[in-house]
Amino acid sequence: MRVVIAEDSVLLREGLTRLLTDRGHEVIAGVGDADALIKTIRELADDGALPDVVVADVRMPPTHTDEGVRAAVRLRRDHPGLGVLVLSQYVEEQYATELLAGSSRGVGYLLKDRVAEVREFVDAVVRVAEGGTALDPEVVAQLLGRSRKQDVLAGLTPREREVLGLMAEGRTNSAIARQLVVSDGAVEKHVSNIFLKLGLSPSDGDHRRVLAVLTYLNS
Amino acid sequence: MATAYGPYGPGAEPRGSFAAALRAPFGGRVWREFLYLLVSLPMAILFFVYTVTMIALGAGLLITFLGIPVLGLALAGCRGLGSVERARARALLGLEVAAPEPVRPRSGKDGRPRTGPLAWVGAMLKSGASWRHALYALLHLPWAIFGFVVAIVLFCCGWGLATYPLWRWTFSAFGEQPGIQVWGDHNGSAFYLDSPLEITATCAVGVVVLLLTPPTIRGLTAVDRLMVSGLLGPSRLATRVWELESDRGTVVDTAAADLRRIERDLHDGAQARLVALAMDLGLAKEKLEEDPEAAARMVDEAHGEVKLALQELRDLARGIHPAILTDRGLGPALSALAARCTVPVTVTVDLPHRPAAAIEGIAYFTVSELLQNISKHSGARNAGLDVWRAEDRVMLQVTDDGRGGANTSAGSGLAGLAERLDAVDGILIVHSPPGGPTTVTAELPWR
Repeated sequence: MRVVIAEDSVLLREGLTRLLTDRGHEVIAGVGDADALIKTIRELADDGALPDVVVADVRMPPTHTDEGVRAAVRLRRDHPGLGVLVLSQYVEEQYATELLAGSSRGVGYLLKDRVAEVREFVDAVVRVAEGGTALDPEVVAQLLGRSRKQDVLAGLTPREREVLGLMAEGRTNSAIARQLVVSDGAVEKHVSNIFLKLGLSPSDGDHRRVLAVLTYLNS
Repeated sequence: MATAYGPYGPGAEPRGSFAAALRAPFGGRVWREFLYLLVSLPMAILFFVYTVTMIALGAGLLITFLGIPVLGLALAGCRGLGSVERARARALLGLEVAAPEPVRPRSGKDGRPRTGPLAWVGAMLKSGASWRHALYALLHLPWAIFGFVVAIVLFCCGWGLATYPLWRWTFSAFGEQPGIQVWGDHNGSAFYLDSPLEITATCAVGVVVLLLTPPTIRGLTAVDRLMVSGLLGPSRLATRVWELESDRGTVVDTAAADLRRIERDLHDGAQARLVALAMDLGLAKEKLEEDPEAAARMVDEAHGEVKLALQELRDLARGIHPAILTDRGLGPALSALAARCTVPVTVTVDLPHRPAAAIEGIAYFTVSELLQNISKHSGARNAGLDVWRAEDRVMLQVTDDGRGGANTSAGSGLAGLAERLDAVDGILIVHSPPGGPTTVTAELPWR
């Protein structure tokens, strides 16, 4: 997997590079601000060497506000095949909504703290690189909490809510099964129940599933 | 202050010197003030007649619905004439008086200011400033008459008698008498000023009157100044409210900027370091079984990171509020601050007891910023810090022997500091000629 990292803190940039390299991935560039990121990706795309995934910090110079999110949205628009994982010190539901607008293919939004769980973090990067989704549990919680269809969600059992949350994070059925220590079949049953209760027709693709859930929750 | 309340505005000449007193009758200032007093009379008559007529008309019409609007218009006219008076005082007396607070209709039930002519008239009638303008019109007329008469008499007598020797010949040429007749009766006995001694004495009296004219005219216009600034300016309350509003803005901005700075420091410093630490430990955990040596190295690095993070947190906390300031007060806190400065600083703190915590905090950060400036910009070899109490003020003085040239021009760090001090009724005075030495004095209220 070929990765480009955009992070203004040298400490974290090097840490991320080491972490991904250690897991056998290739970090082809590390930049410190959003303009440099967009320029690097454009040059790589011109050479036909677009990376698989970009890991970008939300706050970068010069304004230290939401450069990372804006760059991510632009990159996703310009290069549909590119996976973009945004790291943030805080969870802002607004950023998640902006990132997910249009499509949830190859997009991720995680708290920086998640890098501590090395295995899970690298899994998330890989998932985004392969066109999947990685949403932070806190983002999912916020999106679920904000939903105006609370009465419909209230119809779900606690277990089904749990499964819905994990689904929204971008996990596959088998990953959910591992996490909850149940069989794949049990998860499949929960998922079809959820779709049934929310009035959605079941579909097989992971990301389409997330998109359906989020679109539904945000409607 | 928006208004100069003192009797003498900017441009007051030095007094008390004999040479200055001799020059005064020929100075531009006395002529401007004389002109002011001359124009005062027609202006005062116009203002008085207008005000009395319109207010009487309005009051008379109060029994109909027309009375209130007419009164409103009368007061609006008074305000207009008042602005002419302020302009006249500005041009001839050099007195800067700000316009009074504008007429603002009260907020309606929905919280928005009401609009429409009725609301405007109501606000005009309720506005104290409008009625003070009318009062000025009434009080100013008698004073303008008095001032006009005194000024004319002094000028005519002074210049006339002082130049008497030059024009005495007109009496014999045209008036069939040898000079000014001091007294006389029908029997033909009379006393004329015609001997050389009498002429000299007359001339001397004229010179004395001329010398007395400038201070007298100054005294007369001093009353005018008081009337204009007291009755035609913004009320002191309004002025103070305006000052406080602007101060509050500064305080809020400063607080917001401080919070942003703290957030940035946290985000870029300790928080980033902790994330890196979590990452290192996460990697170490993964490695623990397959490669214990690498894991040990990572734990070692993580240990270093923790210490750095602690150091950064400590610095940050000190930047928010140093513990030693709370515990021990300004003296020890400032000594600690001076010890961290790259330039040797001699510290003298002489305070009878501790001021309020807020004042201590501001004093501390003022000194902190000034010492930082010295380290960064001055190139000084030695610096001094003195803190003492003068009546109800805390005085801070920071001196250095650096290259000087510091100023409080807009946008500089010192300008920001001056603004922050101003917000608590403090003052910052910078004396920094190019080439140095620099002395920065800050004054804070003792609370």
